Amino acid sequence: MGIMYLLIFLTVCIGLAGWLLFLWAVKSGQYDDVEGPKYRMLEDEEDEKKSEEEAPDKDHPGT
Amino acid sequence: MPVCDHCMLEVSDRDAVHEDINGRECVFCCHGCSGIYRLIRSEGLDEFYVRRRDWSPGPAEDRPLDVSAFREVLHPVGNEIEIDAVIDGIRCASCVWLNEKILLRTKGVTRAVVNYATHRAKIRWNPSEIDLGVVLGRIRSIGYTPKPFLPKAWEDEQKRQSRDLLIRFGTAAFFSMQLMLFSMALYAGYFQGIDEETKFIFHLISFALTTPVLFYAGWPIIKASFRGLRNRTFNMDVLIAAGALSAYGYSIYAITTNGEVYFDTAAMIITLILLGRYIEAGAKGRASATISRLMQLSPREARRLSAAADAPDAAGGSQRRMVPIASVLVGDLIEVIPGEKIPLDGTVLSGSSEADESMLTGESRPAAKTAGDPVYGGTINLYGSFVFRVTKTGRDTVLSQIIQAVEDAQARRAPIQSIADRVIGYFVPAVLLIALFTFLGWLWHGAPLPQAVMNAVSVMVIACPCALGLATPLAILIGTSQAASKGILVKGGDVIQKAAAVDHVVLDKTGTITEGRPVVTHCAGIGIPDDEALRLAVSLEQRSEHSLGRAISDAALNIGPEEVRDFCAVPGKGVRGSINGKRALIGSSSFLESEGVSGIDAFLTAEQLRSIETFQNAGSTAIFLSCDNRLSGMFVIEDRVRKEAAEAIGMLKKAGMGVSLVTGDNRKTAEAVARAVGIDEVKAHVSPLEKSSEVSRLEAGGSHVLMAGDGINDAPALVRASVGVALGRATDIALESADIVVMRPDLRLVPAALALSRKTFSVIRQNIFWAFFYNLIVIPLAIAGMLHPIVAAGAMAFSSLSVVANSLRARTS
Repeated sequence: MGIMYLLIFLTVCIGLAGWLLFLWAVKSGQYDDVEGPKYRMLEDEEDEKKSEEEAPDKDHPGT
Repeated sequence: MPVCDHCMLEVSDRDAVHEDINGRECVFCCHGCSGIYRLIRSEGLDEFYVRRRDWSPGPAEDRPLDVSAFREVLHPVGNEIEIDAVIDGIRCASCVWLNEKILLRTKGVTRAVVNYATHRAKIRWNPSEIDLGVVLGRIRSIGYTPKPFLPKAWEDEQKRQSRDLLIRFGTAAFFSMQLMLFSMALYAGYFQGIDEETKFIFHLISFALTTPVLFYAGWPIIKASFRGLRNRTFNMDVLIAAGALSAYGYSIYAITTNGEVYFDTAAMIITLILLGRYIEAGAKGRASATISRLMQLSPREARRLSAAADAPDAAGGSQRRMVPIASVLVGDLIEVIPGEKIPLDGTVLSGSSEADESMLTGESRPAAKTAGDPVYGGTINLYGSFVFRVTKTGRDTVLSQIIQAVEDAQARRAPIQSIADRVIGYFVPAVLLIALFTFLGWLWHGAPLPQAVMNAVSVMVIACPCALGLATPLAILIGTSQAASKGILVKGGDVIQKAAAVDHVVLDKTGTITEGRPVVTHCAGIGIPDDEALRLAVSLEQRSEHSLGRAISDAALNIGPEEVRDFCAVPGKGVRGSINGKRALIGSSSFLESEGVSGIDAFLTAEQLRSIETFQNAGSTAIFLSCDNRLSGMFVIEDRVRKEAAEAIGMLKKAGMGVSLVTGDNRKTAEAVARAVGIDEVKAHVSPLEKSSEVSRLEAGGSHVLMAGDGINDAPALVRASVGVALGRATDIALESADIVVMRPDLRLVPAALALSRKTFSVIRQNIFWAFFYNLIVIPLAIAGMLHPIVAAGAMAFSSLSVVANSLRARTS
C-alpha cells in the first residue's frame, strides 16, 4: 500500500506544479496575444540571411 | 522611390524587398506582399495585375510625423523609455514581423513587441542613444504609421476581468483533472470492489481537490446566485450554485456515512461553466478589440496655430503644434490639411476646400468651404487645406450632442433575458418542487429523516445540467467566428438573439445603399469619341482639388493624360486650360456659357437633353467639356448605388423582412435611389434624432428593427434599433453605437448576418435542449433513491458531448 500513497502524493505534486506553471504563464502575459504566434511560426527566420546574401550592397545597421 | 509590385505603395529603397521572380526583378514593400505575389503567380492568376484598373494606391502618408502627440504615452522604465503605440497599416503576420525586426535592428532599441491581434506595439529604447523621432521614423520608413495608444478605462478593466476569468478557469480545470483521476478509480471501485480504507482516502482527496474549485474558482458564481436570490430571480447562476453546492454538501455527508460521493459533478459543473464564459468572453473580446482598433486610428488631436499668428495670412509662417483636442479653446486657430478629420466646430478664416459632411447630414454631395463658412467637428476635409477659428468645443459641438443622445439611448436600453435564463426561470422552481415532493414522499413511506433529505438533495444534484454552461457560448463562438470569416463582427451573444427576431430593416442611403462618394457613371463625347473626351477631361482635372474633378480623374487611372498649359481652376465652377494649343474648358453649363461657349442646348440632341434632366432629377450632376469653344463631351457624376444593393434588398425581402430607407438627403435623390434598389418605403430629409424616432415608431408598432448605417447621423438610430449595423468605413461613433460591424462595404452581409443569427439562435435552442435532456431523464432515478455517481457522470458526459457535437454540426451545414 505504501507505494500507492507515494504515487498519490506524486500525482498531486505534479498537478500542483502544472497549476503553478499555468499561473506563472498567465501572470507573465503568455496569453495576451493568442493569435499571433500561430502565424509567427510560419515566418522564415532564414529569410534574413538570404536577403542579405542576395543583396549584399544593402547596409543594415546593427548587423 | 520604387513602387511595390503588389500593393503599389511607394517603398523607400533601403527597406524594399527585392526578389527575382521568373527572371524579372520585382520590388515589394514587405515580405507579405512578396509572398502574395508569388502565390498569385503560382496559381496562374497573373491577369490580376493587368486587370486591376480601378485600383488606386493607398493614401500616401507624406505629411510629417508629429512626435508631440506621443508625449502622453511615453513612460520611463528604469533608465529606458517605453511607448504604447498602435501601428496603422498592419495587415498580416509578416507586417508584425517586419516592424519588430526593423525596430530591433535600430541601435538603442532594446525591446519591440507588436501584438498581432490588437496591432499595439510596446517599444522600449535607451534615450541616450536615440530619441522618439528616430524610433517612429523607422516605422514610417517601411510604410506603416504609428499612432499613440490612449487606453480607455473600460478596456483596462476588460483586460483585468478576462485575466481573472482565465486564472479561475485554469485553476478549476487543473483541480478537476486531478479530481477525475481519483473519481475514475472510485468508478472502477463500484464495479470491482474497493477496500474501505482506500475509498475513504480517495474521498478525502476528492474533497480537498473540490473545495478550491467551488470556493475559489466558483466564488463569483456563488456570489452572483445570492444576489439573484435576493432579487427573487432564478437565473443560471442560481441553478449552477444550487446544483454544485448540494452535490458538495451531499458528498461531505456521504463521507461520514460511507456513502457515494458526487464531488466530480460539483467540480465539473463549475469548470464547464467557466469554460463557457471564457469562450464567450474570447469571442466578444476579438470583435471589440478589432472595433476599438478601428477607433484608435482616428485623430484625437488638432493642429493649432500659435496665438501670435492671429492674422490669417500670417498662418503660413506661424508655428503649428499638435495638441490634444481637449486643450483647444474657443477662438483658437486650427489648420486642417486634405484628408484630415475636422476636429471641432468653427468658422473658416482662410483657405478653401470641400468637406464631406455626409456622415452628419446624409447629403452625399460635399459642401464647399471658403472663408466665413461653418465647419463641423467629425466631418472630413477633402482636397484643400484651410484654417478655421474654433467656435465650439467639448460638449457644445454638434458631434458631442449626437454622442450625448447616443449615450442616453444606450443607458435606457434594457438588457434582454437570455434564452437559457428564460428556461431556468421555470426549471428551478419545478426542480425545487420535485425535491420537496421526494422528501415528503420518502417521509410518508416511513424512511428515516436523513435518507429522505439525501434523496431530495440527490434530485437537485442530478437536475443541474453541466453542459448548460457550454450550450450558449459554444453556439455563439461558432456563429461569431463564421460571421467574422465573412467580415461581420458581432459584439456579443445577446446580439444574436435579438438579430434572430428582426423583421424590419431600415437602411441609410449615403454610404450604405450608395457608395458614399461621387463617381463618373456616364461619359459621352460630342463630335469626338467617348474615350477621347474622357482623356481630355482627365488631363484637365488632374490637378483639380474639387470632388467632382477628382471623380473624373479617378475614372480613368491608366489613361495617359495630355499636358495642360495655363491651368486655372475657377472655384465652384470649373477648370480652364489649354491642351495642344486648344482652349479646353470643363465645368457646369453656366461656367461654359460664361466662358463664351454659347448655345450648349443647341449642341445636344433632344434625347441627350432629356437624359440630363432624368439624371438631375435623380440627384446627379452633369458636367460639360468644351474644346476650341465647341461642346465636346458630357459626364454624369453621381453617388452610385452599390452594385449589390438591389440583390441584398431582394434577399431581405425574400426572408420576409420589411425594408425602408431613411436619409438626411433630399426627397428627389432618396426616391430615385429607392426605386433603383426596390425599396417602397422612403423617409427623406430627416435629422439624426428624427431617424431614431422613426426607428422607435416602427418598434412601437411591434417590429424588431435592424438599422444599418455608417454616419454620425445614424448613431442615435443604431442604438435605438434592436440591432444596429455599422457598415464599411463607418465613423467612430457609428462603430461604437452598433451591435454588428460589417468590415467589407458589401450590403449583402446584412442579410447574411441575419441568416447566421437565426441559425445560431436555433443551435442555441437545440443545445439547451440537449443540455437538459439526459439530466431530466434520470431524475426519476433520483426520486426513487437509486441515483449513483456513475449515472451522474454518464449524464454529464453525454450532455456535454451532445452539446459540443451539435455546435460543431452547425459549422459544417
